Amino acid sequence: MKFSSDEIASVLQQEIEQFDSKIDVREVGTVLEVSDGIARVYGLSGVMAGEMVEFPNGAIGLAFNLEENSVGIIILGDYLTIQEGDEVKALGTLLSVPAGDAVIGRVLDPLGKPLDGKGPVQTDVSRAVEIIATGVAERQPVTEPMQTGIKAIDAMTPIGRGQRELIIGDRKTGKTAIAIDAILNQKGKGVKCFYVAIGQKDSAVATVVETLRKYGAMEYTTVIAAGASAPAPLQYVAPYAGTAMAEHFMFNGGHALVVYDDLSKQATAYRQMSLLMRRPPGREAYPGDVFYCHSRLLERSSKLSDALGGGSITSLPIIETLEGEVSAYIPTNVISITDGQIYVQPDLFFAGVRPAMNAGISVSRVGGAAQVKAMKKVSGGLRLDLAAFRALEAFAQLGTDLDDATQSQLDRGYRMVELLKQPQYQPLSVGEQILSIYAGTKGFLDDVEIKSVQQWESDFLQFARDKHAGLLEDLNTKGDLSDEVVEKIESCINDFKAGYKPAEA
Amino acid sequence: MADVESPKHESVLDTGAEQLGKTYAQALIAAAEKTGTTDKVIGQLRQVVDDFLGGSPQLTAAFNSPRIDGDEKSRVIDRVFGGDFDPVLVKFLKVMAVRGRLGYVSAVRDAAENLYDEQMGRAVAIIRTALPLDDALRSQISQKLGSVLNKDVRLKEEVDPDLIGGMVVRVGDTVFDNSVANRLNTMARKTRDGFSSQLLQKFDQLISEK
Repeated sequence: MKFSSDEIASVLQQEIEQFDSKIDVREVGTVLEVSDGIARVYGLSGVMAGEMVEFPNGAIGLAFNLEENSVGIIILGDYLTIQEGDEVKALGTLLSVPAGDAVIGRVLDPLGKPLDGKGPVQTDVSRAVEIIATGVAERQPVTEPMQTGIKAIDAMTPIGRGQRELIIGDRKTGKTAIAIDAILNQKGKGVKCFYVAIGQKDSAVATVVETLRKYGAMEYTTVIAAGASAPAPLQYVAPYAGTAMAEHFMFNGGHALVVYDDLSKQATAYRQMSLLMRRPPGREAYPGDVFYCHSRLLERSSKLSDALGGGSITSLPIIETLEGEVSAYIPTNVISITDGQIYVQPDLFFAGVRPAMNAGISVSRVGGAAQVKAMKKVSGGLRLDLAAFRALEAFAQLGTDLDDATQSQLDRGYRMVELLKQPQYQPLSVGEQILSIYAGTKGFLDDVEIKSVQQWESDFLQFARDKHAGLLEDLNTKGDLSDEVVEKIESCINDFKAGYKPAEA
Repeated sequence: MADVESPKHESVLDTGAEQLGKTYAQALIAAAEKTGTTDKVIGQLRQVVDDFLGGSPQLTAAFNSPRIDGDEKSRVIDRVFGGDFDPVLVKFLKVMAVRGRLGYVSAVRDAAENLYDEQMGRAVAIIRTALPLDDALRSQISQKLGSVLNKDVRLKEEVDPDLIGGMVVRVGDTVFDNSVANRLNTMARKTRDGFSSQLLQKFDQLISEK
């Protein structure tokens, strides 16, 4: 292989011929001081808040603080080679990122620059990073389900397209795993996924990208990464940039799923910038507008009205708590902004209940509206039953003798907990979920050993896929639980039980 | 006492001094307007800062020093400036002395010049060129700029060989850059960007199998 220099020369010649020189008119300022990710600039008298500026080393900045004598700039890029006295040029536009189909399958930084070594994003489409969310008239209620493929979540805290569902919990409790499973489950459903990694170890992001690639999810996913070593301003804009890319699909009638992993780190980055800018600190030293920082971000997830094409952005923000402290500042803020939360707990996680969702305090405020009818019927009282079981379980530990009714309620509870366990990277379709949960809630599992429930379930689902594909297809597409369907389900379960012998351990 | 270190850079900004300078400058111009000697006063203020303070570090140190009290400074002002300078300016300097603000005279000078330029509809244009300007070019530039900006233009000239050719005009915070260096840089950047996108699009054409 050899480069043909003639061709290259002709391309270069074209570029030079097309170059027309105009007088370069620009508004400038002078750098007074530079510190971690921020600069103070004298001049730039006509700059607008949020306007882009350019430093001589090519780094882009945003006008963040407009003061009487100077302008506070946050630097989205390399700030180590910027010097006092450098000329800063106002660009006269707001920050925007590339969007459209070209970003799908890419790993990008928050400015849309490639991190995956596949060259620049080739697209003419770009979208402003900060826009005001659509108003009331442009929206419609959330009714369409956004299946995560996780039984416990789709049954008890269903998520709809256009909803914001918070995933909250301590470190190492499987928050990211839930989000990744949700992304994997969007395969073939026409939902574009955006995974925004904020302040994470680059190794963790690499693992996520590798997982997505391995399960074929990178075909419809974009990863926006601002790692722990990225300057705070980049970490701060990352979620807005990811949302801007997702909005392109929403406003064109498509659907998108955005995962913000995680917003506590974004709040920390914002706090750092604000303190360096000498904005007054408030509670936990966060600036006064940290609530607005998250609310204006999550408000951009919406379900558009049919007139606007009916597109949607569903978001799964993640918040990391410390020692289960949900009453800290940022967790309470984001809980109040979102339409519900999935609360994951370390004790459940280490007891082997994975996903480690606490059914008692996890809610979805959109709820049943975003479930297929069959699922709604099957999982009706599941969440309350499970919560009641937890209370009863605590009571039963006192060692009292229990009457038969209570004992059977306990036994059912243990089996349901087993049934709701689900291995990672194995999302289930709605039909499969309905079959499993129907079997559990109607007592078909009562004669199965607790420890073999999971095995029973996976064998049963395999059986259903092999022998009753029509039923699954019906449930997946129609999603209705008519008497006829119920009959089919029961006969399917009975068929299976008749021929099933648990494998010897 | 060591010399007060002078700013290395015009970018060293003392916001307090700037604020203070502006306030005092407003007062000075208003006072000078009453006697109708604004032009003269500002010219002399420039002279005080550039020639006297600039030429004599001792005088600057004395003006800055908090250990010399206001009355003493007033006497010095009378002796040095009393005869030749406008009485408004001398009184003004004394007021600054009594208030312990004599160290900020140069800030007042900057602010007063800006304010006065603004009032008179004048603008300062900083012209950077690769070679020194000659008189014909100079008058041509100030005429042209004056008609565009609709203001009386005062030129400040700088010579910067790095520009290679052409001219950079700066009025306030706006820069009109038509230098050869800038044009070369823009062309380099545009060509690079264009080339990289062409490279991706027709990679096959650019390489030949051999």
